[in-house]
Amino acid sequence: MIDFGQIDKVIHEKARLSIMTMLASRSEMAFQDLKAELSMSDGNLITHLRTLMQASYVLESRDESGARPRTSYRLTPEGEKAFKSYIDLLEAIVKATKPD
Amino acid sequence: MTTQQTALEHLQVIRSLMEKAHIYRAISAPAAIAGGILATGASVWTIWVSAVQESSNVPPSLFLTIWLGIFALCTLLNTILLSREATRRAQPLVSADMKLALRALAPALGAGGVMGICLAHFWHNQTLAALVWIVCYALALLSTSGFSPRSIRRLGRSFLAVGLLLFILWSAVPDARVYQHEEAVAAACMGLTFGLLHLAYGIAVLIRKPQPAPSFE
Repeated sequence: MIDFGQIDKVIHEKARLSIMTMLASRSEMAFQDLKAELSMSDGNLITHLRTLMQASYVLESRDESGARPRTSYRLTPEGEKAFKSYIDLLEAIVKATKPD
Repeated sequence: MTTQQTALEHLQVIRSLMEKAHIYRAISAPAAIAGGILATGASVWTIWVSAVQESSNVPPSLFLTIWLGIFALCTLLNTILLSREATRRAQPLVSADMKLALRALAPALGAGGVMGICLAHFWHNQTLAALVWIVCYALALLSTSGFSPRSIRRLGRSFLAVGLLLFILWSAVPDARVYQHEEAVAAACMGLTFGLLHLAYGIAVLIRKPQPAPSFE
């Protein structure tokens, strides 16, 4: 029996799910690259990134060495674990409700 | 919307974004550096023998043998390095990614290869053969844009820009087309692109080597 209460509310939102997926696919992504790939506004993207950072799923790093400072994001080990658990749960839901 | 529909929709979002974000590097940096060194060396040797020493010409058959030999060596080295990388990631060498890359590369590489060989062998026009190789190689690299890293896309754009510039120069300057040591012009074009551009690409990739992707296994 699947406990639907297990669904991670932080990830269970399309924009945050998209951010988590992009970061899971690449080791690290710059803010501008994430924005371009997901077609999100600055405000929307930063709001969702803050939510993910508060949940310790995403880590921010700043590189000030170049002419323009570059802010990048990557998944933390907790974020990787939560993302994998989330996918496992989605698959379990699909399997459980699939007609024979 | 039911929980199952939401779950399916979210899995589709994950799948499509994973595919979009997926990156496959078809040319390894060490192979590019090795190819760059070989191409630069072959180019300098051809220019030295034919144009500087003026002792003898490099016939089209030797020109073809040299460059096809370099191509074969670099392809072999690249395959060995990609194989090692695949083993490190516990994946087969001929993975879905490699098949995708080969399908994207094959048309332009095949067309360029056949046209270039015919131009050098039957028409004895090594410069035009070299220019066709350069432009077709650029188009082959750019055809992998959907899944290749930025450095490969930059390499493709650089090959295309330099190849077209050289073609315009060669077309606009009559002396270059009737130059006695035509193979030296062709070698210079090959050295500038397959030599120096590959060296720049390989060094840039090694300097900015990315961290390994997180594993979910």
